[in-house]
Amino acid sequence: MRWKQFFTPAKSMTAPEAKQFMDRLSADQYNLVDVRQPGEYEAGHIPGARLIPVADLSERIAELDPEKPTLVY
Amino acid sequence: MLAAKSFNNVINMTGGIKAWNSEQAVGAEDAGLSLFTGRETLEEILVVAYSLEKGLQDFYQLLSGKVGSDRAKQLFKKLAAIELIHQERLFTEYRKVTTQPISLQEFEQGLVVQAMEGGLTTQEYLDLYQPDLEVEADVVSLAMAIEAQALDLYLRARDRAPAAATKVTLQQIAEEERAHLKQLGKLLDT
Repeated sequence: MRWKQFFTPAKSMTAPEAKQFMDRLSADQYNLVDVRQPGEYEAGHIPGARLIPVADLSERIAELDPEKPTLVY
Repeated sequence: MLAAKSFNNVINMTGGIKAWNSEQAVGAEDAGLSLFTGRETLEEILVVAYSLEKGLQDFYQLLSGKVGSDRAKQLFKKLAAIELIHQERLFTEYRKVTTQPISLQEFEQGLVVQAMEGGLTTQEYLDLYQPDLEVEADVVSLAMAIEAQALDLYLRARDRAPAAATKVTLQQIAEEERAHLKQLGKLLDT
């Protein structure tokens, strides 16, 4: 059992903090991932967000650069 | 999941999309991407981007003739002028990369895309947002919504482009859209 997968904490940011974080960087310096469903994404998403529904995340993880900060919502 | 795959800097945005008070984009991940197949040359991408900017300029100019308020009229004219600056920048970039000398008229005659910036038609934008054209905040908010769509489109096209040079061009255009969004935001603050 991979305990690390359960207990590794992720940092949190509020939405205004996230916006400031992204405004400081160019879009190719971070990953922005929407983990919701396609219908939710279509109804509204942060511009530039990549849609990877949470159920697909482990299979599609290679699409993201692990060296970059990854902002998830 | 991400942490287990050596993603060392994962940040959760608390509150999700409901907490996001800034611009949003709508539509499926491939919406509008018929404009970009990912196989375009740099020149073709710049032509598409130019046509999108020109479509929005036409849209703002049309609205400036429809609204009654002088202040709203002047605002639309200002926005149209900004789109013209974007077009000039894109044509300048095009002339840097093309091997053939070309006039602006020849360049514009190569435009085939009818959809306005962001990949939706003018009517689709009006139906979607239903702005009060006499209220400045509504006008600027509509422009920001359209620019957010454009930013979203260019960033998704960048992600799908196979060639590094194409990615760089789309990234640059996306950054300009982001700057444009900030400029529009300042209009709301004045």
